[in-house]
Amino acid sequence: MIPKKHVPDLIRDGNRFSDKIMREQESVRGNLAARFQEFRDSIKRDHLLWVLIALGPVFALFCIIRVYPILETIRLSFYRYHPTQRNRPFIGFDNYWRLLEDEAFRTALINTLQFCVMAVIITLVLAFAIAVLLRSIEKVAPVYELLLYIPVVTPWVPASVIWKWIFDPVHGILNYGLTSVGLPKLAWLQDEHVILYAIVLVSVWKMLGYFVVVYGVGLRNIPDELLEASELDGATPWQRLIYVVIPMMKPIILFTVIIATIIFFNVFAPVYVLTASAQGAPAYDFKVVIGEIYQNAFVFYRMGYAGAQSVVLLLFVLTLVFIQFTLFREKR
Amino acid sequence: MVRRFILAAACLLLSIQLGIADEKTKGKISIWLGYPETLDAFKLGQTEFKKKYPNVDVEILTFELREFEAKLAVSVPAGSGPDILALHDFIFPRYYEGGSLADMPADLAQAVNNKAIIDTPFRDIVTREGKPWGLPWWSGRNGLFYNLDHLQAAGLSGPPKSYTEVWQYAEKLTQKNEKGELTRAGISLRLTGPSGGTQKFGYFYYQLAGVQMFEPGKKPGTVQVTIAKNIDAAARVLLDHVEHLHGAKKSDDWALKHDAQGFASGAASMFMRESWVIPFVKKNGPDVKFGVVPVPRDKAFGAFNAVEVLSVNKDSKLKDAAWDFIRILQDQAIVNNVLESSGWVPLRRDRDYGSVLAKEPRFAQMTSPPSDQVQYIEAPNVAYEEMTTRVGEVIQAGFRDASLVGNMDGAKRVMMRAHDTAVKILKDNGNYSD
Repeated sequence: MIPKKHVPDLIRDGNRFSDKIMREQESVRGNLAARFQEFRDSIKRDHLLWVLIALGPVFALFCIIRVYPILETIRLSFYRYHPTQRNRPFIGFDNYWRLLEDEAFRTALINTLQFCVMAVIITLVLAFAIAVLLRSIEKVAPVYELLLYIPVVTPWVPASVIWKWIFDPVHGILNYGLTSVGLPKLAWLQDEHVILYAIVLVSVWKMLGYFVVVYGVGLRNIPDELLEASELDGATPWQRLIYVVIPMMKPIILFTVIIATIIFFNVFAPVYVLTASAQGAPAYDFKVVIGEIYQNAFVFYRMGYAGAQSVVLLLFVLTLVFIQFTLFREKR
Repeated sequence: MVRRFILAAACLLLSIQLGIADEKTKGKISIWLGYPETLDAFKLGQTEFKKKYPNVDVEILTFELREFEAKLAVSVPAGSGPDILALHDFIFPRYYEGGSLADMPADLAQAVNNKAIIDTPFRDIVTREGKPWGLPWWSGRNGLFYNLDHLQAAGLSGPPKSYTEVWQYAEKLTQKNEKGELTRAGISLRLTGPSGGTQKFGYFYYQLAGVQMFEPGKKPGTVQVTIAKNIDAAARVLLDHVEHLHGAKKSDDWALKHDAQGFASGAASMFMRESWVIPFVKKNGPDVKFGVVPVPRDKAFGAFNAVEVLSVNKDSKLKDAAWDFIRILQDQAIVNNVLESSGWVPLRRDRDYGSVLAKEPRFAQMTSPPSDQVQYIEAPNVAYEEMTTRVGEVIQAGFRDASLVGNMDGAKRVMMRAHDTAVKILKDNGNYSD
């Protein structure tokens, strides 16, 4: 039992205690706020340092996965490097001089350029046309975009295996369709004059949906007032397309041309799978640049020479991108 | 008598030693295979191996052949890779010269050097300065496969006996539809896949020239190119191919299914390949009645051999156990399994394949070739893939050139280009021999 005379003391002490706690808490809150303010001030003061700390791990990973392999490839290109041979001498630019005489690489470069030009033009023109058409059926456009996007998310290898069967000269559905309308069969993958179009067909089918979606986004962002105003001024749909839509879409067109160029210039998987000479399914040996690099590196084990080819590929693509930037960039 | 007694006692001791379990050895040995059809044989070996090494795990991985070669090329020089190296004869020099092979135990080295056990041409693949570095295990010997029903329907009493007859038969066995399109190849030629294409072109070339296109050079690991010296033979083979791909004698077409798949599906009446085709066609074309004979002769009579060699990685931590596994793979039951399930021909001459031959007599053409048939092996060299691929590209581009029909000079130009391509690559790699 608590003596009565201590109760007021207890209450007074309790109040003093809770006051003390509250003061301490206020003091802590005040300190935290002060510290947080200090922190914010230091970020403003040492902005660069904090950016480095935040982006550091990501940048380090990027350097390990991207930058280091590129630098190492460039370094290897000056060596005669065969993984199973102990002697790996420095040979200067010999690998690059050899490229000038390499007929196979020249053929691969020409094939890749032809393929890239055809695939980029057909894919982007078709994608733009479809995106414009879908704008007129806006309510159901997402359904079509989804259907067109399915090939984009299908991996290249299984898609190419299926197309290999579609292209089969005896059992393939394409030739079945041709013969059913009285046209002759084609050796899609066996005829050296036809295989380029076969690979373009597969690549366009695969990537069309991606660019339809990108163009769709771009078209939706064009202000309706501009289109209405041009209509009021008497512009025909074709004139609206040429003088309003396309100029407004220029930045997106630039983006898609660059991305498409990079994607198609690096074509490898469909060519490899479609032309893989399994013993019973011969196909024409259609050379592309990445295929040549792969063959030199992992079949002939000429790692240094493959490195030189990779550097040339890098310079080529950078040049193409630079040209496209120059042509499509908005002039200020 | 005394020698025989000592030999028998040694064998007995060895079998007892193999039978005693080694429980002290622990760890894992890894085996990679580029020929998945031999997996059954390795699994049989694994069962026996575990009796002796209960505490050693065995990991066996199979890959597609080119992928297997690429993985080996990257891992072995880096000090990793499998413990047991199953190497094709043409990539064997790469690992020997790279210092990647462990020393062979004396008993296995002795077996390799014994002509009664391993024939001399196969011993020479693995031997450097008198010392063997691997055990030749099996060979893929080539032959001419032919469809019995097709030959009978065409009124042909038996398979072709000469190089010239091969082409004549091909023309008779070809079938076309009402539009003139080929529906069945008289002979399925190797038209794509340049590296293998060079090899199969060589099947014909050897019979005319008496030498391979690429023969071993004066020093080990070097190669001499014989095309220029045998340009008439080389051009003749190319012309025969071209004339049977274009024009009136057309007997094959790129659009048809080829090789063993084509033969097993009835799309081809004849083709040349190695012994693995026998179990393949039995499995994939059970209705196909076929026979196999040695590749028909011309001026020469030879058979191509692709050899698999077993060796041990010098970086293996369980070398003794790995060599023991290789010893087990020499057992009668296992070499029988190799022959029966994969079709590859074991090279042990001191084994009896009678039980397998009783079930499948067609293997006899491969296990007991005619005594006058020369067994040739490709000249192994570090630039093998590049050389055969680039030469194959030249030859197969020639196949597509219809203007070469009846054009001997044009054919010679193509084959000289093939010759020059090979010489350039060999010189670039420092293993060209005059």
